[in-house]
Amino acid sequence: MNTYYATNLLVYAGVDIIACLALNLQFGVSGITNFALIVFQAAGAYAAAVLSMPPSSSPDYSFQLYVGGYNLPFPIPWLGGALAGAALAIPVGLVVLRKLRSDYQAIALLVTSIIANTVITNARTFLNGAAGLALIPQPLDTQIDPRSDTYSYFFVGLTAVAVAVVWMIAARIVNSPYGRTLRAMRDHELAATALGKNPVQLKMTVFIVGGAIAGLSGAILAGYITAWAPSEWLYPETIILFAAVIVGGRGNNLGAILGALLVPVGFEEVTRLLAAARLRGRTGWLTGRCSSQRTSTGASRACRPWTAFRSRCHEGRSPA
Amino acid sequence: MQAVDGVSLEVPRGQITGLIGPNGAGKSTFLAVVAGTMPASSGRIAFDGEDITRLPAYRRARRGLVRTFQLPSEFGRLTVLENLLVAAPRHRGDSLWGALRGRRYWGEDEERLVTEARSVLQRFGMSAKESDYAGEMSGGQKRLIEIMRALMLHPRCLLLDEPMSGVHPRVVAEIQHYLQTLRAEGLTILMVEHELHLVEQLCDSVFVMAQGKLIGSGTMASLRRQREIVDAYLVG
Repeated sequence: MNTYYATNLLVYAGVDIIACLALNLQFGVSGITNFALIVFQAAGAYAAAVLSMPPSSSPDYSFQLYVGGYNLPFPIPWLGGALAGAALAIPVGLVVLRKLRSDYQAIALLVTSIIANTVITNARTFLNGAAGLALIPQPLDTQIDPRSDTYSYFFVGLTAVAVAVVWMIAARIVNSPYGRTLRAMRDHELAATALGKNPVQLKMTVFIVGGAIAGLSGAILAGYITAWAPSEWLYPETIILFAAVIVGGRGNNLGAILGALLVPVGFEEVTRLLAAARLRGRTGWLTGRCSSQRTSTGASRACRPWTAFRSRCHEGRSPA
Repeated sequence: MQAVDGVSLEVPRGQITGLIGPNGAGKSTFLAVVAGTMPASSGRIAFDGEDITRLPAYRRARRGLVRTFQLPSEFGRLTVLENLLVAAPRHRGDSLWGALRGRRYWGEDEERLVTEARSVLQRFGMSAKESDYAGEMSGGQKRLIEIMRALMLHPRCLLLDEPMSGVHPRVVAEIQHYLQTLRAEGLTILMVEHELHLVEQLCDSVFVMAQGKLIGSGTMASLRRQREIVDAYLVG
């Protein structure tokens, strides 16, 4: 196992842990079945991208179309990603969380996820459509060579700091009287209302906090893989995160972390072994995937473990 | 269809008032409308002389108008003690910012409220169950949890929806005793109940509903003398 592979795995684990902690706050603790979580991660990724990239009129970036391009230094893109996730949660929450019953909320959020992806895919002048954004600058890449092992360790460290901050926020919420109120609302919303709790305010708050955390996870991921496209955030990605939270133990932060490690790492490692068995003789997919990230050509479909898995399964079923 | 139609009643302060009637009379709907958990299409609700018709349910609860439910409504995955603590008002840790500031900020409030909750548990003989999950309690214990939880809010008026239904006779006697004690302490109670002998023992005055309308009021003894009410509900 080389350094790049190990650090790659650690960064993905960190991103998944952050996303699972956000989902655990919303779904596990508060009972909001947010089938659109990946949209908030995507909002964070796109925001971080356009904040850190130069304008699309710049010579190296003229092959893609996007709004903004502010060339801002780290950590502004990451903070901007978190803010974008929170900001997006406000209109979505106001539409979905106020009047709808919880099962309808889940359906509305799923539909939101599909609509958002379709809109971004087709509105090419907004965020470069289906091709997505490429050559997203990495944090502090002018200070440390991003191709070096040192940079890989540095990025793992940055991700670890983000995980620690998010963990602290999530733990303080869950283990507080506020977290207790959220769990009460999850168990019986009407009874909580009859005890003086305002369920709309509670849901909106946790939706915005979860949106911010998911946005941060997207900003980290976009800064790491240096590319971001609609194929990265199709709705099944949210289902993977739900699986992780449920496998780890709903409502428990440690469980969310365990689930994030088990499900994505399981996908990563098991599919790697499957690939070795099934695709013997072909070029190692892992090598190809890593190099596609390294060169940042925008070929981001194979960047996430499960996306790569789906692609390879599809490839395996196609006529040769 | 109107579940409650033209019902107008006044609940005297510091008394237990009963609301009785056949199934489907609209008693629970009326209670829900008063508590704000169901909207009224028209009419006016006043609490302590103040118009609360437009207030949402959580605001009515914060003003001291607290209801319980016909079906058990415990927070099943919280412990019995936590069920009580959820209801406690004015907790510094019960907001996002308070939570983020950590235990040092809200720990004192928590200790005070845990002491208060334990004294309520002791009063209702539930101290031994404080660490058990509320979802694992018996039907009668869930009823007690609901009443204890409501009391943590320091209500001025308690709306009880069939507090004795599905409860073991021994626990019924306990609940009856607690309600009488609460009345002696000055709490106002409006109670929907089907067990007429309990209503007779507990309630100072009683209202009768049938098919969404109010058909009579008075003490149980006076109601038994009104033929149309006996025919509608009190037969047997």
